[in-house]
Amino acid sequence: MSTVVDVRDLVRDYPMGEERVAALRGVSFQVDAGDYVAIVGPSGCGKSTLLNLLGVIDRPTSGTVSINGERVERLSDARATEFRLMRIGFVFQRFYLMQALSARENVELPLAEAGLVGAARRARAMALLEYVGLAKRERHRPSQLSGGEQQRVAIARALANAPALLLADEPTGELDARTGREMIALFERLNADGTTIVVVTHDEDLARAAKRVIHMRDGSIVGDERAR
Amino acid sequence: MTFALLLALLLAVPQDSARRSPGSARTIAIDERLAADLHIGVGDRVVLGAQPGDTGQYAIVSAIVRRGADPAEVARSEYKIRLHLTQLEELIGYGDRVDRYAVATRSEAAIADAQARINGAAFGFHAHRSRDIAVQTSATFAVVSRFHRAIGVITIVASAIFLLCIMLLKVDERRRDVAALRLMGISAGTIVKGVVLEAAGIAVFGSLVGVGLGALASWLVNAHYQGVYRTPLRFSVVSGDIVLLAVSLALALGVVAGWVAAKRLVSVPPLSLFGR
Repeated sequence: MSTVVDVRDLVRDYPMGEERVAALRGVSFQVDAGDYVAIVGPSGCGKSTLLNLLGVIDRPTSGTVSINGERVERLSDARATEFRLMRIGFVFQRFYLMQALSARENVELPLAEAGLVGAARRARAMALLEYVGLAKRERHRPSQLSGGEQQRVAIARALANAPALLLADEPTGELDARTGREMIALFERLNADGTTIVVVTHDEDLARAAKRVIHMRDGSIVGDERAR
Repeated sequence: MTFALLLALLLAVPQDSARRSPGSARTIAIDERLAADLHIGVGDRVVLGAQPGDTGQYAIVSAIVRRGADPAEVARSEYKIRLHLTQLEELIGYGDRVDRYAVATRSEAAIADAQARINGAAFGFHAHRSRDIAVQTSATFAVVSRFHRAIGVITIVASAIFLLCIMLLKVDERRRDVAALRLMGISAGTIVKGVVLEAAGIAVFGSLVGVGLGALASWLVNAHYQGVYRTPLRFSVVSGDIVLLAVSLALALGVVAGWVAAKRLVSVPPLSLFGR
């Protein structure tokens, strides 16, 4: 099985006055293709910092990050943006859908940026909305959708360019318990269909649904277990 | 042949009070301002005199003439009548003398020839093209027009600065949206293009609304002052070149405003936009 994520000796610290605060203290791990990993730990343990580095939106102080075999920790801003577009899907706690656009248009955004045009783009967006169960809501704007539906649109958008890795930051954080369970089921289905997922969460139910759980504390990995 | 008499020579009398030689009355034309003020209509008989107190001559009003849109005459309160030249000579007591007269040519090509012939006819004759006279007499209005245009440009520039502030605020409200777009892999260039397009759209829409309001205000100003001065002169005109200037300037400034706002935003790292 190929390795999608390969993180080695990752250190990230931030200047705080004249001192430096370590957010990550030499983290190493790999994620194989088709895996479903939950990163858990108390607030401030470094899990969001780790997610930012995996998402190529931050640079480590030292160490290396490889995604799909490509070293990404020193990419230029333009190259990192392009890499995120084609290789990484992001799901946020607060969805961040464009309010002026319909559900389908939101999904079409990354496809348009990738250069897909016309009917092919619409067809791809519709297929993704169909996958997350929102084909009939394609024309609705985010304000006309429930929180769960908005998160589904956000997931469809994240999958638009068939990324090698789906990163999710507290994806159930804004949802009620029932909708949260639906979202967990959707993530399981995504993973069953071959999507590699890394999710940062405080939600124990979501973590339990993952195949593997990485526990973090004070910028280090303190546990790494296969859940099933 | 008719002649325009600049000073008021008219002593209006009601038809019933006319006492002398009604059978010998000739026809005259009066301007509509005079007709309105003295309640005179076509067919009325009036008495004309060169001086107040003159016994005068009878004349019949055969036409009411609307004044031309001449800015130089707008504020003048004098009245105008038109009468036959022989009638005028008889009225003022001496003949064969005019200060000004107009010559209409059949074609524009004949103007220069007519001008030369008149100027060569006698010492002291000066023929001018009506277009040249219009330019000379409109010089003051041209300055006023430029002054108004300058005010318009300043207004548009001030509006553009206002637009820039709005764009900065609006774009700033979208920090998290922009951060999410950047994280999705949407390039800074695409985001800048989107914001610039939006700013351009707002600028064009705003300038068109402004043109609409300007046209309405212009119509109201014209309706009011045309009534006050009883003239067909248009005091305010929203011309094509002004619309073009306003829309072009607003578009250019809107694009700059959008570009500045967007560049300012995309220069911030996505994580900072998220407040992390």
